[in-house]
Amino acid sequence: MEYLIHLAILFAIYAILGISLNLVVGYTGLLSITQAAFYGIGAYTTALLLTQVGVNFFLSIILGIIIAAIISFFIGLVLNKFSGDYYALGSFGFNVIVFSILLNWRGLTRGALGIAGIPKPEIFGIHFSSNFTFLIIALLSLGIVYIVARFIVHSSFGRVLKAIREDEKAIQVFGYNTLYYKLAIFVISAGMAAISGSLFASYITYVDPSTFTLIESVFILAVIILGGLANLEGSILGALFLVLLPEILRFVGLPFDTAAQMRQIIYGVIIILLMLYRPKGLLGEYKL
Amino acid sequence: MFSQLILNSIIAGAIYTLVALGFNLIYGATKFFNLTHGVLAAVGGYSVFFFSKTLGWNIYFAVVLGIVFAGLIGYGLDKFVYLPLRRKKASNMILLVASLGAMTAIQAIIAILFTSQFRTLPLNTGTQRIYEIFGGVITETQLVILVVGIIIMATLALILKYSMFGKAIKAISDDEEVARIVGINTDKIIGYVFFIGSAIAGLAGILIGFDIGIQPTMGLGLLLKGVIASIIGGIGNVYGGVIGAFLLGFVENFGIWKISGEWKDAIAFVLLIIFLIFRPRGIMNKQ
Amino acid sequence: MTIIETKKLTKKFDGVKAVNNLSLQIEEGKITGIIGPNGSGKTTLINLLTGVIPIESGTVIIEGTEKLVKIKPSQISFYGITRTFQDIRLFEQMTVLDNILVVLTERHVLKALFERHKNYHLKHAGEVLRKVDLWDKRNQFAAELSYGQRKLLEIGRALAMKAKIYFFDEPFAGLFPEMVKIISTIMNELKRENKSIILIEHNIGLIRQLSDYVFVMDEGEILAEGISTKVLEKKEVIGAYLGD
Repeated sequence: MEYLIHLAILFAIYAILGISLNLVVGYTGLLSITQAAFYGIGAYTTALLLTQVGVNFFLSIILGIIIAAIISFFIGLVLNKFSGDYYALGSFGFNVIVFSILLNWRGLTRGALGIAGIPKPEIFGIHFSSNFTFLIIALLSLGIVYIVARFIVHSSFGRVLKAIREDEKAIQVFGYNTLYYKLAIFVISAGMAAISGSLFASYITYVDPSTFTLIESVFILAVIILGGLANLEGSILGALFLVLLPEILRFVGLPFDTAAQMRQIIYGVIIILLMLYRPKGLLGEYKL
Repeated sequence: MFSQLILNSIIAGAIYTLVALGFNLIYGATKFFNLTHGVLAAVGGYSVFFFSKTLGWNIYFAVVLGIVFAGLIGYGLDKFVYLPLRRKKASNMILLVASLGAMTAIQAIIAILFTSQFRTLPLNTGTQRIYEIFGGVITETQLVILVVGIIIMATLALILKYSMFGKAIKAISDDEEVARIVGINTDKIIGYVFFIGSAIAGLAGILIGFDIGIQPTMGLGLLLKGVIASIIGGIGNVYGGVIGAFLLGFVENFGIWKISGEWKDAIAFVLLIIFLIFRPRGIMNKQ
Repeated sequence: MTIIETKKLTKKFDGVKAVNNLSLQIEEGKITGIIGPNGSGKTTLINLLTGVIPIESGTVIIEGTEKLVKIKPSQISFYGITRTFQDIRLFEQMTVLDNILVVLTERHVLKALFERHKNYHLKHAGEVLRKVDLWDKRNQFAAELSYGQRKLLEIGRALAMKAKIYFFDEPFAGLFPEMVKIISTIMNELKRENKSIILIEHNIGLIRQLSDYVFVMDEGEILAEGISTKVLEKKEVIGAYLGD
């Protein structure tokens, strides 16, 4: 049972990441491969604020969102100058830069040593010390992110995002300043990813840069492609699959230390198969 | 100190050149960013490790096998993944994502087969000779890297310029559709391009293995440098890749002169982003 | 009155002058045709006037008041300009209804975020779609429509803008007579409402039938201009088409 709760928490974290990235990739058509950077910014903000300054966890989530939003604003400004595969490369670059900073700015982040001893959340005297209570926070966060994402997708703004994805020049001709729209969704997406990071930090109680690499960004991309681009429920499904897969592997009898690599192989192969045979993914309405 | 920096820059440039050459060749022919390219260096390095250390075969033989094996993997990827996608008129983004998948999978396969431990490739001579040039130091292996880099650059340049094969590649680069219409078997030529480009990448991995060592994740770093070198030099332009590679080598090494070496990657990427903003066509390509 | 005027408009591609020092005036409330052989610069001209490609040199004057040397595509709707594309640029993986709704709803980023399409949007979209006979297909993806239906949707999208100035780039290409009739009717209706239409077409018969005034382009310049019947008889015009 404890184990199921653990899986459920991880699921919630990845579902939020998936939804956040889908808004940018699936709905707006921007091939962003840098989500791990904002995931990491959220995680480190919470880690630092909780261990160094003693800030409340929930406040740290908000601050994490703000910091990720500010950083993503500037990254988004630069990325807006690119399109298609150049956008992907540029975003790659930013992931590397952010990772480099997390790894090398030891004065702030303690580099490869990471930050340990991150406490569990508490508010108004309630300690969320058990995994079960943490799960509630995680699921609530997922719920909020999902509702916000749905709201965005069904608004006029959401429709414009899809038009940008289909033909950016064409929608511009009809009076839309697409740069603002792209920037806005990129920032919103980064803020959501930061929430996942905060959850991750407090749950695992330890963060280090190795979680927030390019490969992680590729995983998140795989989640949403598998679940289906431009489909929020699909991202949730994809996250479920991501979390259950290692368990299935372990069930089948693979030794633990290769489970992570096996997962990577399976993800790589799944991406290739999806591109070849079903670019829409499971529930998606859009293919790249 | 200064001359050491220059030597280091040149050596780095030579390695990046090897990676950029293959990457550019493939981009020129297919117009997509083949992100699997870097991991093929690891394939090269690890296959030499396998043949020489695990199987105990002659090192030179192992090197040749390693290069060929890397080339074959690249060729296989084209045949089974990229070509079918191109036939379906897949967009560049789909190809890029597929190459990401391949990169992820291959890197993990290597890690499972050989563990993530850092390995070195054995050399024939027990100790290496070290040369002193203008006050800087360079090992024999590094000298070999430089020489090999230059030879491959020159050979490739000659092939591209003067052979029928090279002309076919240029035709495909300019317009694949037209090349096909005039009777060039574009699928076959592109297959060869993948083989050659990947083999060169494998060679780069092998040389690094001799110089520093190999690790399953080495491909990613090399890929990133190769991409940066190609873009700043002029994507698709083989000579541009060379210029970009050396420029990158210099900027990286001089850039970390005053600050810690760990920022190399970040510096490289800042350089990339600057070029993407101001001169996305690169140094050699016309605007 | 002159609704659009260009002065010495120029655009080069790789050294070739696609539009060469072009100066012309377009009358309000009329249907102005632009014809010419392939490569004469018609579409480039429209692209320049609608901000799709940047102006190299020259000026564009709108309604006598706005003098522009640079046009951003997102600006043109504020000047009452809209267009269709020769190569049909619809939002393929969106529904027919969404293709229309998206040009009706709020443009401002923040306001658009908090807006769900209202009834008046739907009503307006309904009117437009019924006019182009696509209301029944409103929930299908644009990509699923037939060629003729896609052309009609392009026009519908432009109509929805309730613009003052319409640029139609080869709207009749490849259409069956029934659809040609629908579009011609729409254009004449717009003209009755005193809207201005600029029409690129290859079909000389349609040009003769629809347009009041015609510009003939060749190699980036104006070869001839005038009332359609007169212009189409000119030797130079026929020569340009036959490739003298």
